[in-house]
Formats: sequence, C-alpha cells, structure tokens
Amino acid sequence: MITRRHLLAGATALGSVSLLPGLAHAKGGLIATTYPGSWEDAYRAIVAPLLKKTADIDLELAPLFAMDQIGKVKAARGAPPFDAFLLDPGPRIVAIEGGLFEKFDPRKLTNLSKIPEGFADQHGVCVSAQVVGIAYNPKKLPAPKGWADLLKDPWVSRLGLTGFQTTFGTSSIIEIAKQFGGSLTNVEPALVELKKVLPKVAAVGLPAAMPGLFQQGQCDVIYTNTQTVATLKGKGVDIEFVKPESGAVAFYTTMHIAKGTDQADNAYQYFDLVVSKDVQQALTPAPYNFLPVNKDVPLPADLPMKSLDEMTRYINHDWAQINPLRAAWIDKFNKDMAK
Amino acid sequence: MIGTLLPARPAQGGTGSRFREWQLALPLALAFVALFLAPLLLLVAVSFYDDDKISQLGLGSWARFFGDSFNYKVIADTLLLGVKTICTTVFIGYPLALVYLDLSPRLQKVLLFIIVMPLLLSVVVRTFAWIVMLGHEGVVNSILLRLGVISEPLKLLQTELGLVISLTQIEMPLMLLPLISVMSRLDPNLRDASAALGASRWRTLFTVIVPLSMPGLIAGCLLVFASSTTAFISQTVIGGVRLIYLPLVIWQQALVVYHWPLAAVASLALVVSVLTVVAALSWVGRRTGGHVHG
Repeated sequence: MITRRHLLAGATALGSVSLLPGLAHAKGGLIATTYPGSWEDAYRAIVAPLLKKTADIDLELAPLFAMDQIGKVKAARGAPPFDAFLLDPGPRIVAIEGGLFEKFDPRKLTNLSKIPEGFADQHGVCVSAQVVGIAYNPKKLPAPKGWADLLKDPWVSRLGLTGFQTTFGTSSIIEIAKQFGGSLTNVEPALVELKKVLPKVAAVGLPAAMPGLFQQGQCDVIYTNTQTVATLKGKGVDIEFVKPESGAVAFYTTMHIAKGTDQADNAYQYFDLVVSKDVQQALTPAPYNFLPVNKDVPLPADLPMKSLDEMTRYINHDWAQINPLRAAWIDKFNKDMAK
Repeated sequence: MIGTLLPARPAQGGTGSRFREWQLALPLALAFVALFLAPLLLLVAVSFYDDDKISQLGLGSWARFFGDSFNYKVIADTLLLGVKTICTTVFIGYPLALVYLDLSPRLQKVLLFIIVMPLLLSVVVRTFAWIVMLGHEGVVNSILLRLGVISEPLKLLQTELGLVISLTQIEMPLMLLPLISVMSRLDPNLRDASAALGASRWRTLFTVIVPLSMPGLIAGCLLVFASSTTAFISQTVIGGVRLIYLPLVIWQQALVVYHWPLAAVASLALVVSVLTVVAALSWVGRRTGGHVHG
C-alpha cells in the first residue's frame, strides 16, 4: 500500500518540489497501526471518522500485527513508517528495550481520570483489555474445566494448537505448563505433555489460521481470547468461552508514540479519543466486541468478569521474563511438533 | 530461463544499435541493482552478525544455523515440497496442454481463460478456499462421507498430501502458460510426419512432442519450484506448523523473535538451495531444449 509517508519519501528522493504543496494538508494527519481483522474494521468505522470530526485529523490506519510493527520500525532505523503503535505486552517490552517509543505524558489525556490507575505510564496508554481462556464447540464437546483437560479425551482429539508466536498462545502454553509442574519461565512440562498427545491433536497451526480452522470444524477446542469468541459467535459459529479453573489470563493492548515522529500532538489527541467514553462504548458491542478500559463503560454481560477491577485479579504474565526465553521456546516447539 | 524460450537470433546492426539496446536496458538494470542486488548484499552483510542487536560481527549465526541438524531436514523438506509440486503439476498439466493443442481456437480461448482465472484471485483467497475444500467438514470429506467411501472424515488439512494438492492447483497456471506457449508454436506437420514414418502415438509423443516442448516444460518447472518452495501462506495455512519449511523459519526469526542475522542466514539458505535447483533445471533445459530424439 502506498502511504503518505511513502509518497513523501519518493518525492524527496526525486527532488520533486512541485509535489510538496499537495502534501501540505498532511499536517492534520496521523499514521497509526492497528491489528488486521476486527481492530481494523472497528477503527476504520468508528475511530477514524470521529477523529476527523472532533480534531480534524486524517487517520490513516496501517494494519500490522504487533511483531510486524516492531520489525518495520527497527528496519526503518530512526525514520518510523508510522506515528503510533498498537501493541500487546510482549512486543511492548521489546519496543521499550529497543527505545522505539517517545516518552509519553499521561497528563495530556483529558480522559486520564476515566481509565483505571496504572493504565497509562511513561510509555503509553492501555486502550483495550483481553482475556485469554479456552473456547470450545458446545454442540460437539462438553465444557472443559481447565487447561489440563485440553490434553485429555475427548478434547485432545479436537484440539487446535498454536505455538509461542502470539501473546495468547504463549500465555496459554505457560498456563498448561503450570498444571504439570512448570512455571512462567519453565514451559518444558507443557511441551513434554503436548508431545505425548501430539498424534491425537486435531490441528497445529499459525494463530491467524485458528479461527478459520475452528469455523470449518477442523478443530473444536482452542485457546484464544474473549474477543475472538464473541466475533465468531456473531458469525453464527457454535462457540463458548470457558474461564479455566486455575484462572484466565488477562493482558492489555497499549498504544504508543513512535520515536522520531513529528505527529506526537496528533497522537495524543488520537489516544485520548480512543479511551473516551464515546469510542469505548461504540467498540464494546457486536460486531467489534472490545473489552473497554473506560470506567464509565459497563462490561458486556456475557464476559467471565463483571468489572475491570475484577480483571486486575486475573493472571498477569511478566513479559520482561518471558521475552528472553521466547526464541528458545519457539525453537523447541518447532522441533517437538515437526512431523 | 528466458533464454531457453527464445529462439537464437542473428546479430543485427553495428555498434550503434548495440549502444541503443544497452540504453534501453539501463532502467531495468538500475532497478535490479537498487531493488534486488542492494537488498541481497544487505542480507549477506546482516548474516555476518552474531547477535540479534546486530552489534557483533562474526560467523555465529551461520554456525548456529548449520550446526543444527534440524535445519538440514527443513531445507530438504522445502526442496522436496518443490519437487513433489513439480511432479503433480507436470502429471496433470502436460496432458492438459496436449488437449489444448487439439482443441478448436474457440475452445482454446475458453481453456486458456480457465487456466489464467486462478491468477486473477489472490493467493490468500485461493489458500483459504482450500481450507473449505479439505477441512474436517469440508467439501471433499462431505462428498466422500455421503457416497459411503469413508466412514469418518479423512485428515487432509495439515498434511503434506493436502498441501501438495492445493499447491498443484495454485501453481498450475505457472506450469501451463509457458508449456502452452511453447507447444502452440510446434509445427503440427511434425506429428503427421512422425505417423507417416510409422511411429506410434506414444513414440511420437516421447520422441517428438516432449523433446520439442522441453523449453516450456523446464520454464514451467522453474516457476512452479521457485513459487511452491517460497509459498509461506499456503505452507503455513494448509500445511500447519508441524510441516516446517524454510519460509516459516525465516518468518519466526525475523518477525517473532527479531533475530535478523539468523533470519538472514535462513533466507540465504533458501535462496542458494532454490537457485541451485533452478540452475540445474536450466542446465537440463539447455541440454535438451528443442532436440528431437530418434
């Protein structure tokens, strides 16, 4: 996709001064990343028009997974291809360690008092919460009670597995490991147990492929987040979310200002709008199914928790400890799972 | 590859025309240097760093990649996937190209449209369509179950068989287009001459048609091989992550764990291994192209 930034770079490279006046309107613009799928749909439909209306800022959305955002900014080396990040906890830590964010001043958010304490810091602001647990097809399987059930009959032969590529995949395997004596930094017991049942497992795929595989009946039980469950349910798929007995995992999706951007002020206005009551309220119901972070917006009734405060008691993983181990885990997962 | 497709042409004009040809090629050459050669050199340079922060020069990433026997299996599996896809596309594509030759010009246009049609669809769409076809409750299993051929659904997705089936369809235009392009130029009188000299249809096929169509066949094989060995989306979506090929390793190292030197080594391993097979096929093409055997 050719972006404003690409055009600007091309024009500069060619010394094409005549093009520059045409780009002057870009002063009121912002290039922000978003996740492909529900996030992109929701932000295009709700946030972009509202940002134009309330702040006269043209929001250009770049759909990229968290890992891809980090990769692109690292590759750009000081000339970020976008102005604002949208990240999960693991890539967030990588970006902090890599110095990829501008220092964030939460006091610039007019809606700061509307989000729980600690949801904004010197790096950025939480814009949505995610709860990870087990999803299953109630027409084909009984409800599993906990993570360990996934490796037993009848669930194991209908299980869809993913590895450590995503936050929810990593979190889930850590929780499975804990059931067999592992810990946050020791997933070996989970890999040992998974290897034992591997011939029975219905599918081992990339995270992005799992909703499609579930929808097509290739697997009937997966670990995933509440948003994916709500979205599939909205499409008529037979799917229910289970909060495991040992607890569900909660994590927060955050927004950050890219280091070196000249659109920091627009980014603050964008973030402020995203956490506002109007936007959070619009993103919460179907078909978007976001978990709101604004205290004035009630949580949907069919969620496993009744309030954001309750969610703070869910399992939270320390990604600063996980990140250094992840490369070795991925390597081990590849070797253990390979045919 | 292109050289195998083009007939030899006598040199035309003097120094002036050669100079003009050189000028015509300049934009493409510059684009090649800027968009292919420079990134490739950068890739080579990055591979000679030991750490993910790209701060320490060394051969550590090379040693790590090639010191792990698992990676040899991944390289072999990747190349084998390309070979299997070539076999199936040739097996289905060659007879189809022969049928094309015998059709009327109107039906040829219809068949050509059917061949080209998959190229008009994104490879992502085609790949996801194969999930619907091969899935546990997909079209293939539903039909087989309804016909009573099987009693429970076959596992077609997340298997190499399913992957090769889908790649065969996805890559088929790349095999058929060069093949048909070359076979359409064959003189139809050659077949009659062969028959008049007493050759059976099979002998005519193997001693006249196949050798003369070899440039197109080799070109198709090159395209199918290069495309199927690097088909990250199809490999991961249809094959799942238990079938590990080099593109998956590159993606994981580059975009999940951010170890770019290791990703660069894996990328170069893919480039070199694919180019080796491509060079071998080109050599075969040059040796056999256009010669009729008695």
